[in-house]
Amino acid sequence: MAVKGAALRVVDAVTVGGRPAASPRPPSADGAPDRSSPHRLAVVDATLACLARHGTLKTTVDDIAREAGVSRATVYRAFPGGREEILGAVVDTEMARLFSALGVTLGESEDLGQALVGGIVEASSRLRGHAALAYLVEHEPDVVLGHLAFDESNRLLGTASRFVAPFLARWMSPPEAGRVAEWATRIVLSYAISPSETTDLCDPAHTARLVETFVLPGIRALHSAVPARAIDITPFADGRRSSLDTASINAASLDAASTTPHPSTAPHPSTAPHPSTAPHPSTPHPTTERKSGHDH
Amino acid sequence: MTPTGPPVPETRQRILEATYTCVARWGLAKTTVEDAAREAKVSRATVYRAFPGGRDELITAVVSWATVEFFARLYEEVHDAVSLEEVMERGIAFAHRSILEHDVLQRVMQTEPETLLPALTVESNRIRQGIAEFLVPYLRQRGVAEGVDTGEAADFLARMVLSYISAPGRWDLDDPVQVAQLVRAELLAGVVAAAPSALPP
Repeated sequence: MAVKGAALRVVDAVTVGGRPAASPRPPSADGAPDRSSPHRLAVVDATLACLARHGTLKTTVDDIAREAGVSRATVYRAFPGGREEILGAVVDTEMARLFSALGVTLGESEDLGQALVGGIVEASSRLRGHAALAYLVEHEPDVVLGHLAFDESNRLLGTASRFVAPFLARWMSPPEAGRVAEWATRIVLSYAISPSETTDLCDPAHTARLVETFVLPGIRALHSAVPARAIDITPFADGRRSSLDTASINAASLDAASTTPHPSTAPHPSTAPHPSTAPHPSTPHPTTERKSGHDH
Repeated sequence: MTPTGPPVPETRQRILEATYTCVARWGLAKTTVEDAAREAKVSRATVYRAFPGGRDELITAVVSWATVEFFARLYEEVHDAVSLEEVMERGIAFAHRSILEHDVLQRVMQTEPETLLPALTVESNRIRQGIAEFLVPYLRQRGVAEGVDTGEAADFLARMVLSYISAPGRWDLDDPVQVAQLVRAELLAGVVAAAPSALPP
């Protein structure tokens, strides 16, 4: 009953819409946010401005309401959970903005190199130019770092690469795209967290050099290795296809995108070496030549 | 009981080990200068002489100390590797396992990330440089691809090593085949000479 009641109130709010302050209901009576509130985005943007000045600790709902030019009651109607809920919405909104900009860049790219360079520059520039993020990194690092370490970092890598992978799948199989998307995300995060003195990923020339030098050769090598040992790294829970099939289907498209002749264009046993027997054409066997014993 | 001279390195080392024991027992936030002094069997004054910043300095120092210990073990594990491929594979596999099995790190990560992470991030810059410097001779021996700067390649590889060991993402780093593929096919393909498909000049 309570759920139905809340749903009805949301419907009611939609129809009433545009007169938020006129509602006679107590704003947080049922804890359900009024997602249709026209003020939600204004509150989020006002919060970003507050965060860029004072961080999370000193930003109050009053500050946010003043910045947005609305009443406290309006803020609470849009976000019954108050400060915590607003901060959550800020993270969600900023992620959505980052991803939508990224989607435009990736969608307009005409080849794999362009997609990688454009995507890395776009993400890096947005992270660096983010005033609220910059304040938090400087004054409340724990707030930001909590999202970037260990388990949380895995979650972020998963979220970002699930979004990016389908764009890259135009040039490679879905499993490869998942892997490359994750790799690109790692690169963005590494240089964002600890900037390099020599490589500025906001600079397209620097990023192009990094992508051409380190990433594209790795993708080509990965591509020739994947069919031999199908490691399931498909970013989607449903609709998986055998990576062997998809790799052979997409082999031609990756080779078309690459500028050099590819050693193996199809997962044929004689041209695609099994990683455990010949992982690298010019290097010794990893397991037979190594006197290890620590991982066997 | 109270030494009168300036703190010798052994005293500092003893206090840090004692502090680490306290952190393992009670966590970062609840470890005090008194606890560390009692555990190390020295006076409070001795602790303050070694760490004039008191508790804050002690906590920062113990995170730094534990990180150095961790990477010293990693160095022990891989320093006899004969090739770049081998050192990267063994290093990533060992570091990954050690982080998972590091009880104190795992517990503090769960309970007090807000105290640990800023200190760890400062450390990670130092560690990245350490890993890069360690890799340079291996890169020289192996030979880098044309147009690749050794220092730049070492920095890139160090960044990637840190990224993968702290968050494996989709990779199963307990599987030697996957680690070999990650290192040989993905990370090193553009870095080393005679890569299977190096870009034309």
